Amino acid sequence: MIELTHFQVLSGLLFAIGLYGVLARRNAILVLMSIELMLNAVNINLIGYSIFMNASESHRALGHVLIIFVITIAAAELALAIAIILRLYRNKSSINTDDINIMRW
Amino acid sequence: MESNNTLGLHAAWIIPSISAVAFLIIVVSMRIAGYFYSDRTKLALLAPIVSITAILAGFILFWLVLLDVLNFGGGSISMNWLVVGLTEIRWGIFVDKVSVAMLGLVTFISLLVQVYSIGYMKGDKHFEWYFAIHALFAAAMLTLILADNLLFLYFAWELVGLGSYLLIGFWWEKRSAAEAAKKAFITTRIGDVCLLIGIILLFKATGTFNISTIFHIAESGGISDAILNSSILLIFIGAMGKSAQFPFHVWLPDAMEGPTPVSALIHAATMVAAGVYLVARMMPIFELAPEIMLIVMIIGLITFIFAGSMALVMSDIKRVLAYSTISHLGLMMLCLGTGGVAAAIFHLIVHGIAKALLFLGAGSVMHSIDNETNIWKMGGLRHRMPITAITFFIGAASLAGLPPLAGFFSKDELLLSILHDGQYVVLAITLLGVFLSALYMARVAIVPFLGSTPKHLEQSHESSSIMWVPLVILAILSAGIGFLILPLSSTYPGWAEFIDPSHHFELEPWLMILSIILALAALIFGWSVYLRKSVSAKQIIEFAPSFYKTILNKYYIDDLYQWIIDKCVLAFGNLVALFDRVVINDKAVDGSAISVYMSALKTRVLQTGYLFTYGAAMMLGACGLAILWWILLD
Repeated sequence: MIELTHFQVLSGLLFAIGLYGVLARRNAILVLMSIELMLNAVNINLIGYSIFMNASESHRALGHVLIIFVITIAAAELALAIAIILRLYRNKSSINTDDINIMRW
Repeated sequence: MESNNTLGLHAAWIIPSISAVAFLIIVVSMRIAGYFYSDRTKLALLAPIVSITAILAGFILFWLVLLDVLNFGGGSISMNWLVVGLTEIRWGIFVDKVSVAMLGLVTFISLLVQVYSIGYMKGDKHFEWYFAIHALFAAAMLTLILADNLLFLYFAWELVGLGSYLLIGFWWEKRSAAEAAKKAFITTRIGDVCLLIGIILLFKATGTFNISTIFHIAESGGISDAILNSSILLIFIGAMGKSAQFPFHVWLPDAMEGPTPVSALIHAATMVAAGVYLVARMMPIFELAPEIMLIVMIIGLITFIFAGSMALVMSDIKRVLAYSTISHLGLMMLCLGTGGVAAAIFHLIVHGIAKALLFLGAGSVMHSIDNETNIWKMGGLRHRMPITAITFFIGAASLAGLPPLAGFFSKDELLLSILHDGQYVVLAITLLGVFLSALYMARVAIVPFLGSTPKHLEQSHESSSIMWVPLVILAILSAGIGFLILPLSSTYPGWAEFIDPSHHFELEPWLMILSIILALAALIFGWSVYLRKSVSAKQIIEFAPSFYKTILNKYYIDDLYQWIIDKCVLAFGNLVALFDRVVINDKAVDGSAISVYMSALKTRVLQTGYLFTYGAAMMLGACGLAILWWILLD
C-alpha cells in the first residue's frame, strides 16, 4: 500500500539529488537538469499531498493546478536557460560554470 | 462660457487675447524663419506688423467696449477655470468705466510706442524678439485691467513683471542692463509675494477670488477687521512694489537701462500703472479700512516729495523723467488715499500720455546725439530738432500743470480731492510738491533744448517721421485731453461724475489760482536759474551742501539696500552655504556614499563568482528560514 510517506521520501530523495547536482556539478547543462529534478521533486510532493490530504474535491484540484503551473514555468525557464547557455558557449567555448566569473569582484 | 451680456464684453476679452496670440505668432515664426534664413533681417518687419496689427485691433475694439459701457454700463463675463472641491475658480473679465479708461490708455500708448519702436530699434540684433515681448507685455497688462477675480489678476500681474524684466534686460549683453532687470524683478517680487498673501487671506476669509463678491462680503461685515486690514495692507504693499512707491522705488530709475521706448511704455501705460490701478480697483474695500487709507496717503505723499527732490538734481535726462514718474505715482497714491479714484485715474491717464511723450522725446534726442543722456552736455536742440522740442515742451508743461494743458486739470482735480478730504497739512505739502514738479520739468525742458548749441551737437538732426508722428499725436492729446474733466455736454457730466456718479464737477478758484501761481513761479525760477543764469545754481547748493549731496546720492537708500544685502543677506547666505557644504554635502551625502563604499569593500569578498557558492547560500538560507518558521510555529 502506497502512502504519503512514500511520496515524501521519493520527493526528498529526488530533491537532494537535484540539490547535489546544482551545487557540485560544473557543467551548466547538468546544473539545469538538476534544477529540473528539484522542480519535479516538488511536483511529486504536491501530488502526494493532493491525494492523501483530507480535503474537499476543489481543494485537491488545487494541487494539480499548482503542478501545471510549475511545469509551465519550468518549461519557460528551461527555454531561457538553454538560450543563455548557447550564447555562453559561443562566447567562451565552454559551459563550465567556474569559467563564468566575470561578474566577480 | 456663460454670457448674459452684450457684444462689447466679448470684444473686451478679445483685446488681450489678440496680443497674446501675436506674441505666439512672432515667437513661432521667428523659430521657423530661423531654419530657412540665416539672415533674419529680410523678415524683420514681419514682427512689428503682427504686433502692431494686434494692438491696433485692440485699440479699435476698445471703442466698441467704450460704446457698450456708455450704453449699458459694462458688466462681467466669465468661464470655468478650475473646480477644486466646492471652490470654483473662473477666468473672467469685468468691465466698468475705470477699466475701460485704462483699456484705452494701454492700447493707445502701446500702439504709439510700438510704431515709434520700428524707427528706434531699427537694425537691432533682436528686433523681432523686442516686438514679441511688447505684445506679451501689452497682453498681460490688458488682462490685468480686465480680470474680474484676484487670482486671474495675480496671474496677469506676474506676467507684467516678466514682461518688464525681459524688456528692461533687453540688451542683456550689457551687464548693467542685466543687473537692472534683476533689480526690477526682485524688488517688485517682494511686493508680489505680499500681494499673493493678501489675496490668499481674502480667499480664506471669503472662499472666493471674485472681486465684486469679495466687496459684497466685506461690506456686509463678513470679514473680521484684523484679516481685512492685514490683507488690504498686503495688497497695498504689492501695489507699492509695482508702482515704485517709497521704499520700493529703487528699481524704476535703474529700469532706464532698457531701450527708451520701453521706458515710455513702463512709465506711462503698463507696469507702474498696475499698482495705482489695483488700488483704484480695490477701493471699495480700502474704504472699509481708514487706517490703511491713511498709510496709502502718507506713502504717496512721501514718495511725491522725495522723488520730486531727486528729480531736481539728476543730470541724466531719463533719470529725471524716471524720478518724475515716481513722484507723480506718489501723487496718484496720495489722491487714492483720500478716496479720489476718478481724479487719480484721470491723472494716471494724463500723466501716462505726457510721460510717454517725454520719454519718446528723450529717445528721439538720444537717437540723434549718439545716446548721450547727460542734460548738461546738451543744449540748443530746438534748432536742430524742432518737432521733438515743441512736443517735449508741451509734455513738460502739461506735467508742470500749466493751463490749459491736461496736467493742469488733472492736478487741480487731485488737489480738490485732497481738499475735500479735509487734509489741510497734506494739501500744503502737496502744493510744495507741485512747485517741485514744475521746477524739475522746467529744468529738464530748458537745459537740453534752449540755450546755445555745444560744438559736438551741430550734426544732430530731427528723427525720422515714424518717430516724430507718435510724438505729435501724443502732444496733441497731452494738450487737449484735459478738457474731458469739464462737463462738455448734457450727456457728459464731467470726468468725476462720469466715473463716480456721486461726485459732481466743481471748481475751487483759489486753489486753481494758487496752483497756477506755483507752476508759473517754478517756471520763472527755472528760467532764471538754468537759462538766464541770473540766479546761480551753485549758490543754492552752497546753501545746504550736505543736503544736496544726500539728494544726489538718492538719500543713500540704494546704498542702504546694498549694505543690507552685503552685510546681512550675503552673510546669512554664506552661513547657509557653509552648512550645506560641511553638513549636507560632506557628512550626509558624501558620508553615506563613503559608508556604502567601505561596507562594500568588506562584503565584496562574498562574491566568489562560483555558482555553487551562491547555490549553497541559497539552500542554507532556505533551510534557515524553514527552521525558523518551524520553531516559530510551535
